[in-house]
Amino acid sequence: MAKTASEWSRRPNHQVMPYVDSRIYSDQEIFEEEIEKIWRRVWVVTVHESELPKPLDYRTLTIAREPVVIVRGPDDKIRAFLNVCPHRGNIIVRKPAGSLTVAEPSGNANHMTCMFHGWQFDAYGNCADIPRCKAGYQDRLSKKDVGLRELKCEVAYGGFVWVSLSDQVEPLQSFVGNAFDIMKEEIGTEPLEVFHYHKAFIASNYKLWHDTNSEFYHDYMHYFNRATSMMQPGYFDRRYTAYPNGHATVGSMEVKYEAYQGASSRILSFPGMPQNGWKMVDLFPGATYNIRGSSLRVDTMTPIGPNMVLIEFRGLGLKRDTAEEREQRIRDHNTIWGPFGRNLHEDLLGITGQGVAMRPGTQPRTILHGRFEDGTIHDEIGMRHYYEEWARRMERLPSDPMRRASGMAAE
Amino acid sequence: MATLVRDRAEVAQSVRDLIYRAGLLLDDERFRDWLALCAPDFVYRIKVFSPEINRDMTWFERDVPGMEATIDLLPRHNTDHGRLTRHATVYSVDLEGTDVASAVTSFVCYRTMLDGINSHMDSGETQLFAVGKYYDRISVAGDEPKFLERTVRLETRRMDKGSHYPV
Repeated sequence: MAKTASEWSRRPNHQVMPYVDSRIYSDQEIFEEEIEKIWRRVWVVTVHESELPKPLDYRTLTIAREPVVIVRGPDDKIRAFLNVCPHRGNIIVRKPAGSLTVAEPSGNANHMTCMFHGWQFDAYGNCADIPRCKAGYQDRLSKKDVGLRELKCEVAYGGFVWVSLSDQVEPLQSFVGNAFDIMKEEIGTEPLEVFHYHKAFIASNYKLWHDTNSEFYHDYMHYFNRATSMMQPGYFDRRYTAYPNGHATVGSMEVKYEAYQGASSRILSFPGMPQNGWKMVDLFPGATYNIRGSSLRVDTMTPIGPNMVLIEFRGLGLKRDTAEEREQRIRDHNTIWGPFGRNLHEDLLGITGQGVAMRPGTQPRTILHGRFEDGTIHDEIGMRHYYEEWARRMERLPSDPMRRASGMAAE
Repeated sequence: MATLVRDRAEVAQSVRDLIYRAGLLLDDERFRDWLALCAPDFVYRIKVFSPEINRDMTWFERDVPGMEATIDLLPRHNTDHGRLTRHATVYSVDLEGTDVASAVTSFVCYRTMLDGINSHMDSGETQLFAVGKYYDRISVAGDEPKFLERTVRLETRRMDKGSHYPV
């Protein structure tokens, strides 16, 4: 039955029907608080080590609005720095990727050079040169006073570079806990290599993408998944497992790819991975590892605003792949993923529509997270678990986010 | 069948005609008619070089049966119904021997919105979707030229919500 305004705005009993308030996806104040209380304090999955294969290779990115540069040092260690010149605050390394062995017009090879005034930094973050330093600063400032701001940085869990803006962040292994137990063998047995990268700016809230990665009820949207999975044995037995700090995993099933016209059973896999298996690890606050037989997809997010997110998509195989094996993995990956894949476009349309319906300034409304199916695939426990962690860090109730609740553990 | 004795200009013109006719069929979403312009062993690819990961990437690859399946299943998929429109210019046509020509075509592809974001606001708006080049190999051995291979080489790498349609 259609609703009147008062009926439409009536809140359900949260104990009976869990929900969140749409303002967690649209309110600017909440978004700013998320940047401070979550994104500046946690470990963030960034690039893959295979994107910086040689000493002095670099990648640049953004975490919680801060420009970051990741560099493989001459000692082969990968480090992360704020990509900001300590002189006048300019961004230093400007390209998305490259090698410091190539000299910039303003500086020497093997250094990161700020093009503005030629201040140069080595791959350890030390200041290597300040033009006319003594003439301008006399004895008040020298190179040793102005190194780059180094960030916490570790390479882990399949060779991804994890970075935190916080010096006080808990150890990465403590933050992740056992969330990768389900995928330990697949991503930890031998080196991986990235073969696919693309990005999407979507006018929607970053959590809505993570929600999509955290619930499978939306498989009704995907003809590919209905044919190859939902209609196949084992689909409704897939289980979610929740881990501390807001992470969750989704158990495997045997996907029947040949049930989709033009698709075929996977030939390749990962160590320990069933040939047509499908596993996921959803990581708080915004990353997902998703293995479907022959390819690993990793989504990482950069929140831009309450109604804008940058999502980066990577596809990975085994570093030792032959050329033929790599081609096969890429074909498998692109059937459903990539910007022209059958599934990813549909998923992105889904959160684009949510972004329209919940754009900043729209009336608050309830977003249901209330499916209970004993932790199996259409249960919405993945989302509920995520928002327990969100509530703990934000000290706000997702169902009533404008009410502050100090010391809140969870709803 | 060997190529009829035609001068290079005539072959080049037939190749240009084929490419432009294919563009009109793609613009009209007559994908089956577009495939009829292709040889049985035709392969279609969308490729991009990523400076981010320093790799050449294949984002889409289909042979004829694969493309037929993709086309036939379009109605079963949720999609963005914005119409893609191409503006193309054939820059070069070169003969590889007597039976095969290769052509390079620069294109700009626009998307005229219908749905996909907020149709009240956006329907009817035309946005730039992608720029790039078509690298075609075309059989000129028979009475009519046929596509053997099309590689869509995109310059545009940020595709946002992407597409279910060939470019």
